[in-house]
Amino acid sequence: MERAERALFESGVRHATETAVGAALDTALDDLGWADALEADRATAVSVLFECLGTAHATSGALDRLLAATLGAGAGLASDGVAVVLPPLRHCEAPGRLDGDWCVVEGLGTAGFDRCATALVVAQTPDGAAMFAIDLGLLTRRPVQGLDPALGLSEVMGEFETAWAAEPEPVDWGAAAGQGQLALSSELVGAGRAMLELARAHALERVQFDRPIAGFQAVRHRLAESLVAIEAAAALLDAAWEDPSPVNAAMAKAFAGRSTRSVARHCQQVLAGIGFTTEHPLHLFIRRTMVLDQLLGAGSALTRQLGADIVGSGTLPPAFPL
Amino acid sequence: MELKAFTSAVDDWLDEHARELACSFEGIGTLDEQMAQLRKVMRLTYDAGFMRMGWPERVGGLGGSSLLRAYLGEALTTRDLVEPGIYSMPEVLAPTMIDYAPAELAADMVPRLLRGDEIWCQGFSEPGTGSNLASLSCRATRDGDAWRINGQKVWTSLAQYAQRCVLLTRTGTQESAHKGITALFVDMDSAGITVRPIETMHGAREFCEVFFDNVLVPGERVLGEVDHGWAIAMDLLPYERSTALWHRASYLQRRLAQLVALAPAGTLDPTAVGEATELLWAFRARSRATQRRLAAGETLGAETSVDKVLVATAEQAVFDLVAAGLGAEVVLGDDPVSQRWRAEYLYSRAASIYGGSAEIQRNIIARRLLDLGADR
Repeated sequence: MERAERALFESGVRHATETAVGAALDTALDDLGWADALEADRATAVSVLFECLGTAHATSGALDRLLAATLGAGAGLASDGVAVVLPPLRHCEAPGRLDGDWCVVEGLGTAGFDRCATALVVAQTPDGAAMFAIDLGLLTRRPVQGLDPALGLSEVMGEFETAWAAEPEPVDWGAAAGQGQLALSSELVGAGRAMLELARAHALERVQFDRPIAGFQAVRHRLAESLVAIEAAAALLDAAWEDPSPVNAAMAKAFAGRSTRSVARHCQQVLAGIGFTTEHPLHLFIRRTMVLDQLLGAGSALTRQLGADIVGSGTLPPAFPL
Repeated sequence: MELKAFTSAVDDWLDEHARELACSFEGIGTLDEQMAQLRKVMRLTYDAGFMRMGWPERVGGLGGSSLLRAYLGEALTTRDLVEPGIYSMPEVLAPTMIDYAPAELAADMVPRLLRGDEIWCQGFSEPGTGSNLASLSCRATRDGDAWRINGQKVWTSLAQYAQRCVLLTRTGTQESAHKGITALFVDMDSAGITVRPIETMHGAREFCEVFFDNVLVPGERVLGEVDHGWAIAMDLLPYERSTALWHRASYLQRRLAQLVALAPAGTLDPTAVGEATELLWAFRARSRATQRRLAAGETLGAETSVDKVLVATAEQAVFDLVAAGLGAEVVLGDDPVSQRWRAEYLYSRAASIYGGSAEIQRNIIARRLLDLGADR
């Protein structure tokens, strides 16, 4: 997208995420042409929307739609009809497993799950992965409250006879999971920016010892450290979009999660007492980022896996060229 | 020339001339050996035209994007042909001369620097002036058409090798702070200059004290305007945090790659390796974005302090792994390669101190990027 076009798109998306959630937000995104942008300029469409979602603490069906589009199912399904079963918490492998004539599903659904008629289930096969489009009624769903009830996740389970489903299509689950990881990284970065802005505003307003606490170096350095963490995560994410290989996507996700944990720690310390209450919005972002960090691969596990692969092979992954 | 064409031309040329360019010593070498190597590599790459790419024609360059300079430094450090710290000094000093020296002086001097004929140093810090640069007190007073300098500098890298010095002096009253500073371009063989190298923990004598005792500098050697030297310092510091840091990223990646290939089984913690790699990759991504902004003609400013915090953090993370994975070499080894690992490990401890400490970078970020107001 050209710079002016992007700015317009960004302000439209930001306004939508700040004023609508859930189904209403999906409709607003349809009106903005987000689905077209997803086809025309995926990096921009995804990074702009998910960063806004993170900053606005909003939910939508966009992750399902991104995964469906990457799996090649986007075009055939209406925007309100696509649900994609995500892997269980901490995992990033495909959520389905073939067992004879049956497919056993164990995973998570996003907030938009119940609004859909059709679920896409990707199952691991001996030579890759296959996608089944099935009736949502074949799966059982248990809404999850947990740490972040507002995220609206549900546990999804079930098994279906593969003969009932339409002919399965071979798909690249790794590529889809990678795109999902990049989207979640943007959402983490957006939530990090929101936390920093909350802490910054508090530091400038809160007066102790006759001056705003923003004047104290101990406070300033925590906020500076938070900005460095956010900008580093954002830079790694931008670079990963230029070459969205599985290893680059996993690195971006793990690093965004780790950076956001550090931002949350610094910002909660700066906000101190008020940031520990539900009267202040900080806790919403802390809850959200902790869950996002564990979706589509837990950050700590992705980092350990990266390190284990490096130590095992004695070589580094390919570096970004200049 | 486009980056892609330049990249393959540089790579081919470096392969072709590998023997001429190779280090004559193994491991770290002495500082004298390192300097001789630096001069040789700069001379050869200048004569081949590569060192002139990315610099303006009015100072002997061949034009083109600053990305070409970033790549040349990457290629040379990745092949261990130069030490990135000393190689990258022109990235800081040449832009200053191009922007602020009288045109004839810049046209005369900059080619000498790029060709490796001369080494220049940067006289900023003083014994009483570390983080608070605006408090410097090395004095320059008018003497006819010339300036007479009295005072002392410290942490002046490579002053004992240098033919010239970009020197910040006090020309206003001490209270004038950043409003009374003047930058001068000083010949290091002027009468009255004494250089005393300082031996650092990592075993080199790279940093020096420089004493000025009634040193006369011609009036036409003022850079920019009298009493406006602070602007030069502020313009120069972002350069110190752009192309030079890309070169450093290449060096860190090289060392991390060597480490994971060499470390004995069981010495490296996978989580620590994963974290250091992510951090280094994030720093590279950030620095690449900075190179692109510079190449697009944007003016760099306080946002480069983010790059500086990241390089220091990444460098120390990489060398913490070196201490774990190559502990025997770092602690006990007396061969030249072990000595290099040890020296570089020790030098990495200074990454959060030199070039504006980690605390100063965070102050800049708080003040200029987060707009938190004054800190007192």
